[in-house]
Amino acid sequence: MRHIPEDELHAYLDQALSRTQCVEIESHLADCPSCRATRDGIAALRDRTTALLARLAPPTSSLPPFDSLRGRAAEVRSQRRRRLQIAAWAASLVAALGLGWSGSSLVRSHADRVGAPALARSLDTAPPVAASVPVANHAPAPSREQPVPVAAAEPVRRSAEARPAVRSAEQRSPAKQAHDERHPAPSREVVVPSQDSARAAREATLSVLSPTPTLELTGLDPSARQDDLAGMWRTMSWDGAKAEAGERLPHIDGLPVVQVQVQSGEQSSRTVTVVAQQLASGQVIRTIEGPATDVTQLLSRRSLAAADSAPPSDSARVDDGHAMAMQVGDRMLAITGDLPSDSLRAMIRRLNAELRTK
Amino acid sequence: MTDDLEQLYQSTYTAVVRFLYRKVWDAERAEDLAQEVFVRALSHRPEKPRAWVFAVAANLARDEARAAMRRKRHLTLLKGDPIAQPRITPAADDTVEHDEQMASVQEALSTLTPRDREILLLWDAGLSYPEIAAQTGLAVGAVGTTLARARRRLVDAHDRQQRHLESDAAHS
Repeated sequence: MRHIPEDELHAYLDQALSRTQCVEIESHLADCPSCRATRDGIAALRDRTTALLARLAPPTSSLPPFDSLRGRAAEVRSQRRRRLQIAAWAASLVAALGLGWSGSSLVRSHADRVGAPALARSLDTAPPVAASVPVANHAPAPSREQPVPVAAAEPVRRSAEARPAVRSAEQRSPAKQAHDERHPAPSREVVVPSQDSARAAREATLSVLSPTPTLELTGLDPSARQDDLAGMWRTMSWDGAKAEAGERLPHIDGLPVVQVQVQSGEQSSRTVTVVAQQLASGQVIRTIEGPATDVTQLLSRRSLAAADSAPPSDSARVDDGHAMAMQVGDRMLAITGDLPSDSLRAMIRRLNAELRTK
Repeated sequence: MTDDLEQLYQSTYTAVVRFLYRKVWDAERAEDLAQEVFVRALSHRPEKPRAWVFAVAANLARDEARAAMRRKRHLTLLKGDPIAQPRITPAADDTVEHDEQMASVQEALSTLTPRDREILLLWDAGLSYPEIAAQTGLAVGAVGTTLARARRRLVDAHDRQQRHLESDAAHS
């Protein structure tokens, strides 16, 4: 004869069994003294458990009026409504600010063109948004012979001295076919400390990256104009740039974007983007992404130009902006800014990881 | 207007406080949390309010325990030495005795696995097997097995302790 398992007797005593199960158990218990003894033991165990647990009771517990809870619940509901209203209000404020920002950047770029009549004339074929520096296509690419491009380090400075350098750089470098060369290489980072010389020439390269295009525009030789958008640098709204460059618009999350510059190539894959963002300290860092040859040119023209003139003074080097680049396949990602190399390296690694997951 | 929730409140508030007290070991806090549970119930209007109330109470107690653990860890870091367990302050003689009895059950309860303890406390709070099963994710059939084990362990742990105390008293 099968005896009743203990857990079934617990469930029986806990009145957790169906009527038919109870009948079965009771008829068995009537015939089985052993199971009756077990049942009595379990009943005693149950009682003891209940008695022990009864000791674990809080000292006093008065029942607060239910209406007081009703009041609190109503308060919670109205708080939730208020929070929703505040959130909606905040969202509309953000939208308004965003509109204002892009509106003001449009006005600024318009003002730039007014301020540079010579260029405005020369650019009459360009769309109205263009505020541009047509330099990258004319740059010499000194690192072309090297299998792995070198990222240069440069102080970020701007001055009117930039102007002659732009011209000289362009006169030196008519090599346009440089663009088509690709140097697929494993991902690798190189930092070259800045050679703080040839201020003028350096300024020329940096002017490409500078946050306000006005200076470059006034300094440009009209003969340097482009026939179409290819190779042109344009300052764009964040959304516009995103639409053009797709998800490949590298930037540091959480920092305000100061400026977005895009150089359209003949094909969309040749787009070079420069996103300038401001750190809490006021420092501006730039994230550059594009075909390796283009980005290398952009960066290496700075070091080449720097090598052309006087050697750097040590004091100047301390304040230098640095550049850090990483090549993945035929694309290159670079960050420039007055930050320690470690910080730049960490940033670029993170950016690269983020871009790869996109 | 008599409210179903109000009836539930009248009938189960004490059980909810007790259930919470056995988790946070602070009577005042247990009452605060119990009221919070019913305030939430008033906003949510759950379909099965009794089971819902205990489920939310269990969640609140878990959050509370986590926060307490964080505070404790933080304090430990600050002070560099472990924090002593909160002690029950002795008052009158009968209170002392009550506290000692309570402490021994508390200790016996702490020897149970978290799941066994939870199911035992839910049963003691008045939940049915299906309600316990729904809340813990256990099969209804397994509730009896778990309860059988939990009851046995609680009583055994308590009896073992009492024997220890008695032999200690005999030796001294």
